[in-house]
Amino acid sequence: MLNDADKAYYRALQALKEKDYRAAAGFLKNAENQFAEKPEIRILSEATELLLAVKDEIYELENETIEIEEILINGQETEFRG
Amino acid sequence: MSRLQTLRKLESTLENFLTKVVDSENEQMGALRSVDTLDEIARDSLKGRVVNNRLGDWFAQNRSLVETKRFDMSSLESISNLLSDIRSGLDPADAISRKLTDQIDNWREKGVIPKRKLILKMKARPVEDNLLGKFIDFLSREAKHLDSGEFEGRHLLQILDDVLKSAAAKEDTMFIHLAGSLIYYLKMNGYKMTPFVKRLREIEKERLGDSHAE
Repeated sequence: MLNDADKAYYRALQALKEKDYRAAAGFLKNAENQFAEKPEIRILSEATELLLAVKDEIYELENETIEIEEILINGQETEFRG
Repeated sequence: MSRLQTLRKLESTLENFLTKVVDSENEQMGALRSVDTLDEIARDSLKGRVVNNRLGDWFAQNRSLVETKRFDMSSLESISNLLSDIRSGLDPADAISRKLTDQIDNWREKGVIPKRKLILKMKARPVEDNLLGKFIDFLSREAKHLDSGEFEGRHLLQILDDVLKSAAAKEDTMFIHLAGSLIYYLKMNGYKMTPFVKRLREIEKERLGDSHAE
């Protein structure tokens, strides 16, 4: 049977190709634990984790910005009407 | 540049990096995909399912790749082992199965795929009782390693980090023992060692199996 490490690595590459970074991170973690002699897999895993963290941060920042803009617009409109 | 712009730039850099890695692994990915498909076929075959059509398709898609050695040795070994598993489940009374069996045998005879490795296992040796001698040997090798001049001027935590890397990469279990000693010594001296203990446990689990990592 195909060993678990190869399988995890293959699934990780497949997920990366499909830009499913969260799934890729899980598979890479699994592959990384089993490929102690391959530091490049650790780099790939760290890069994917970092990308996920960056995406989460961007999501939070963008949502914050939208909230602030709405409050300001409403405030100005009220002043004009008054 | 705003924080959001910086993050966007980092996001795009990381995505480009990952895309390039995937592109560079394309050939390897193709090989793994083929082995993975064959693996699924072998699993179904071992469950007693008829796999003739899928195996025939697999041969059609991969024949030229295997015969022109486009796979690395490790993939060829996996293919060989999987084909052996599948072959044992093929029905000799069925014409298509016989054809597939001939194809597998033909590859093996021509050396297209390696012969299956036989692993002979010996009975476990009785535990040797010269544990003290072995322990003293460990200690003296560890002292020699630390005194080799390689670590001169470095903090013990840096040395521990280096020893843990060796423990993960090298066969010699001395590094696992040395890492354990260093962690305990640093802990006795008031250092917080939790991340290092975690790393050592993972290495132990990987190298020596679950039962040692308790």
